[in-house]
Amino acid sequence: MERALFIPVMLGTVRQGRMSLPVARLMVAELSRRPGIETELIDVARLPLRVDDAGEATKDPTFSAQMSRADALVVVSPEYNHGYSGLLKHVLDSCLKEYVHKAVGVVGVSAGPFGGARGIQDLLPVLRELGLVTVFWDVNFSAVHGVFDEAGALRDPAYLPRIDKFLKELVWMARTLRHGREHIALE
Amino acid sequence: MASEAKPMICPECGVAMNHHAEKLVYPSDATAADAELGGVVEELHTCPECGASASRRAVLGSL
Repeated sequence: MERALFIPVMLGTVRQGRMSLPVARLMVAELSRRPGIETELIDVARLPLRVDDAGEATKDPTFSAQMSRADALVVVSPEYNHGYSGLLKHVLDSCLKEYVHKAVGVVGVSAGPFGGARGIQDLLPVLRELGLVTVFWDVNFSAVHGVFDEAGALRDPAYLPRIDKFLKELVWMARTLRHGREHIALE
Repeated sequence: MASEAKPMICPECGVAMNHHAEKLVYPSDATAADAELGGVVEELHTCPECGASASRRAVLGSL
């Protein structure tokens, strides 16, 4: 029997009142509904990473183990001043070999109309250098303050088909890369 | 899976791991870096049985 894929969702902001939290919870819920997939929420605000150094010197053993176990990663990335959050970069940089030949998809979030697209574009070359393989679907939450109700429930079901396409592509890439990591040798 | 002279052995399963990637990394000790590459090459290996991963520093030939 095939081992379950592990695809955690990384919430990439520590900002108070962050509207990326219901987005990350929605992604966890949508992943959890799929057979053969295990997921969990990784909140960068709860990781005990030092900020008086950077890179692998700050590695947290629990986060490193989660990334080693992961077959793919969903990054929920809010756009702040046209970029991704600094703490997200700090956390991503704390690992390296854990990511190699694993799939990643990015969910952009913004208060404005562009759904975090500018932050995603800046994040893609970083993910590539970390050894991750990006999928060609994104999910973009524009004007996010109106997307969820006060209880954090999704108001607009139109997001769900796009999330479905994004996750199908991510799962396919995760399965393919797992096969490659385990069975296809570098020549 | 291609055979390798000295495969890494999975500590969980005891089987030969698959060498699937080589990544250039930049050590904090600059004197450890290869002069031509500007860094060091880390080999990535994954177990075909349990999926565990491991890495080791590559032994470089001439470029």
